[in-house]
Formats: sequence, structure tokens, C-alpha cells
Amino acid sequence: MFWEVTQSLLAGFWETLKIFLITLAGALPLGLLISFGSMSKFRPLKWLVRTFIWIIRGTPLMLQLIVVYYGPGLIGNWAAKIPDPNFLIAWMAQWSVYDRFLAVIIAFIINYACYFSEIYRSGIESIPRGQYEAGQVLGMTKSQVFFKVVLMQVVKRIIPPMSNEIITLVKDTSLARIIAVYEIIWNAQAFAKSDGLIWPLFYTAAFYLLFNGLLTVLFGKIEKKLDYYHA
Amino acid sequence: MKRFLALALVLVMSLGLFAGCGSEKQPAADDAQAASDLAYVQGKGKLIVGITDYAPMDYKDENDEWTGFDAEFARLFAEKIGVEAEFIEIDWDSKLMELDAKSIDCVWNGMTITPEIELGAAVGNAYVKNAQVVVMAKDKLASYADITAAKDLTFAVEAGSAGETAANENGLKSVAVGTQTAALMEVQSGAADACIIDITMANAMTGEGTSYADFGYSIELSTEEYGVAFRKGSDMVDKFNTVMEELKADGTLQNLAEKYELTLA
Repeated sequence: MFWEVTQSLLAGFWETLKIFLITLAGALPLGLLISFGSMSKFRPLKWLVRTFIWIIRGTPLMLQLIVVYYGPGLIGNWAAKIPDPNFLIAWMAQWSVYDRFLAVIIAFIINYACYFSEIYRSGIESIPRGQYEAGQVLGMTKSQVFFKVVLMQVVKRIIPPMSNEIITLVKDTSLARIIAVYEIIWNAQAFAKSDGLIWPLFYTAAFYLLFNGLLTVLFGKIEKKLDYYHA
Repeated sequence: MKRFLALALVLVMSLGLFAGCGSEKQPAADDAQAASDLAYVQGKGKLIVGITDYAPMDYKDENDEWTGFDAEFARLFAEKIGVEAEFIEIDWDSKLMELDAKSIDCVWNGMTITPEIELGAAVGNAYVKNAQVVVMAKDKLASYADITAAKDLTFAVEAGSAGETAANENGLKSVAVGTQTAALMEVQSGAADACIIDITMANAMTGEGTSYADFGYSIELSTEEYGVAFRKGSDMVDKFNTVMEELKADGTLQNLAEKYELTLA
């Protein structure tokens, strides 16, 4: 039984890892884009992006998962019942649910990109003006200054808060089961439902701990490697 | 360019989010189904059945195929309407949302027929009978002959389940938890003295080889009936009722019930 549970939990943890890795790959760049938006000098954009961040950070990820997956299908079904639809309603009537895994990825990327964007912003805004001015004096363009001078310093400063958020992401993947994506906690609960076994649920902690342990070591190494300059 | 990209992105996202929120405020009880639900299911050629892992209704056999009373019954029904049955495990709390969003076509999983479920879905005629039982440690069973003797105990029940209703009807002190298994865990950990769950569940979950080996039950509370839920206003219900009558008349259902030790309604 132990081996059977381990196999099932490993399969579930693979799903967990997939959510984790794809979310990270999408949210890291999108977060940077959103942080630019929230620091934009163009007021309407800044206002919109900050409202968006407020909505995403202000509502539970669980609710966002439900909206992203069931939302289109529910709207489609509702629109289909409206007599004499205008073109908008007719278009909405064609909306339907799509892949569950994709919905998880969309919700997670958007959610985490918003949190990341605030960390990026804190990092970017902490770089002294002098760095920009020095770049300009050397004849660099704005984007050259950002990517060649500022960004690496930002990366260095935001490693601790980022590692916090990334470790949280590993554990948040367990929310995916709300829309029936079978990650490790779902698989563990399946044993409680069908075989009357409680211990697989607690056994999942070993998987999370092991992986987060690896991440902690990795972030420690990165921090050490980047520890070459003290402002 | 970046600015426009970001703006466009943000616009689409916020629109999507607001639209999603808006839709949930719409009343679900809109009976006028524009087109035939049966035609829709036959058109796509498969009946997507929302289930949970719940022996003996729906569970996986040694070849990893879904089987059980409900799984076999659902396949028979799908065959009669000329489509293929496809089973998908869902989160039980989301069953009505799954139906309305059309990610499933029916809920077929030993679902107790309650007035609440009939508000949100179209439910077919009852097909199997079930009972709610009080599960506790075997050595305590003798002290509680009936429910009046157990009045002072604390009970764990599944939120929104027939067990919770039974607890309320009998004026019992109860704690509502997420699932029937969580209710068992409450008792195991000592957080509750006993729990009220389905008799089929109690049979499958307690005894040798489970984490609840020394649990048992003696008190039966309410009896209840199982039904299949379709989308609100769906014409699949009438079809289901007709097919069930046919399967009852030729003895197919009775054979199935005997195979899985259930009682037909």
C-alpha cells in the first residue's frame, strides 16, 4: 500500500510541479510588464494597472480559479437563454468551458504576476537616481540603462522577497483541485475517500518539504553568488 | 508599444473578471432552455458524467476503469441515447456550477435528492434508497441504543449533506465539515464523538484494512433516495425517466442492484 500511495502522490506531485514551473515561466516576465504599468507616467494606464492589481490581490486565488474556469461556460449558458440576442449576447452565447489545466495556468500566472510586479516595483524604485544619471552620462539609452545597469541590481535586491513568494506558489498549487485538476493533495484525498486512509494526506508534506528545501538551498546559493557589491 | 500592449492586456483581463463576476449574480433558475439539451448531448456524441470516487456507486476497478452501480447505469443510459459515457471526477461542492457551465452533462454519483438540489438542477426520479447512520467507536455502540440516548454527544457531519439535515431534525449538536471522510477524521481525532454519514459510505470506509478499523454503526436515522441531476430545464430528465422504466421492466436494474448490494427505490 505504501508503494501504491507513493506512486500516486508522485504522479500528483508531477502535476503540482507542472503548475509551478509554467506559472513561474509566465508570471516572472508578465510581472515585470505589470510593474512597468504600475509605475507608468501615463496616468490612466497607471490607474488601470493598480486597480487590476488591487482586484487580483484583493480576492482569493480560489475564487479567481472558479471565475477563470467556470466563468465563460456560465456566461455562455446564460447568454444562450436570452431571446432576440444582440451581436454581443450572440457572441457570448458561444463561450464555453475549456481545458481545466489551462484555466489553472491562466489564473495562477495572472495572480502571481501581480504579486511579483509589486516586488519588482519595490526593487526598481529602490535603485538610486544616481545610477540612471551615471548611465545617461555614459551616453546609454533609457532601455540600455534599465537592462544593463538597473535590472541586475534589482534582481539582487529582490531575491529574498521573491523566494518567499515562490515558495508560497509551490504550496498554493494545491488550490488547483478546486476545479478538479488532480494535483498531489487531490490524489491524497482520493485515498481518504475510497480506501479510508488518512495518512497519505500527511505524507504529502514530505514532498512539499523536500522540494521547498531544494528551493531554499537554491535561493541561498543565488544570493551568495550575487553578493559581490555593497551599496 | 509596451504601453499599448500593457493597456490592452489589462483591459481584456479586467473585462473578463468583471464579466465573470456579473454572470454569477444571474439567477440559475431560468427554466427556458433555448434548445434541446438532449440534442446538444447527442450532437457532440458523448455524455460527460460528473462523479466522485465513491464506492460502490463510482470507483476504479483494477484496470483503472470507472465501475460501480452508477457507472454501469450511466453507460447503459448513454448507450440508449446513442452516445458514449465519459466520466470526470469533480469537486462535489462545484457540481451545480459544473452543470451550468456545461463542463459536465449530469451528476450521477449516489446523489441524495433534496429540495435544495432541485432548486438548482433538474433531478430524475429516484433510483436507489439509502440511509444515514451514526458511526462511532465499536466499543461505545452498546451504550447508545437509539438517538435519544446519544443526545449529549457531538456529531460531525458533511456540510449540506443529508447527514446534516438528519442531525438538525433530531436537534443534535453538530459540527459541519467539508466531506464525509473529514467527518470520520473528526471522530478519529476525538474532535467529535460520532459522525452521521451514508450507510454505503460507512460500509466501504470502516472495518478491516482502513484507518477506521474499530468504527461501527447501529443507529439508522433517516432514509433517503438517490437521483441523477441534469441541467435546470433540461429535456434529458424525461428521457432518463423513460429509460429507467425500461431498464426496471426488463430486470437489468434489479440485477445491478443485487450485484452492488443496493436497494432500488
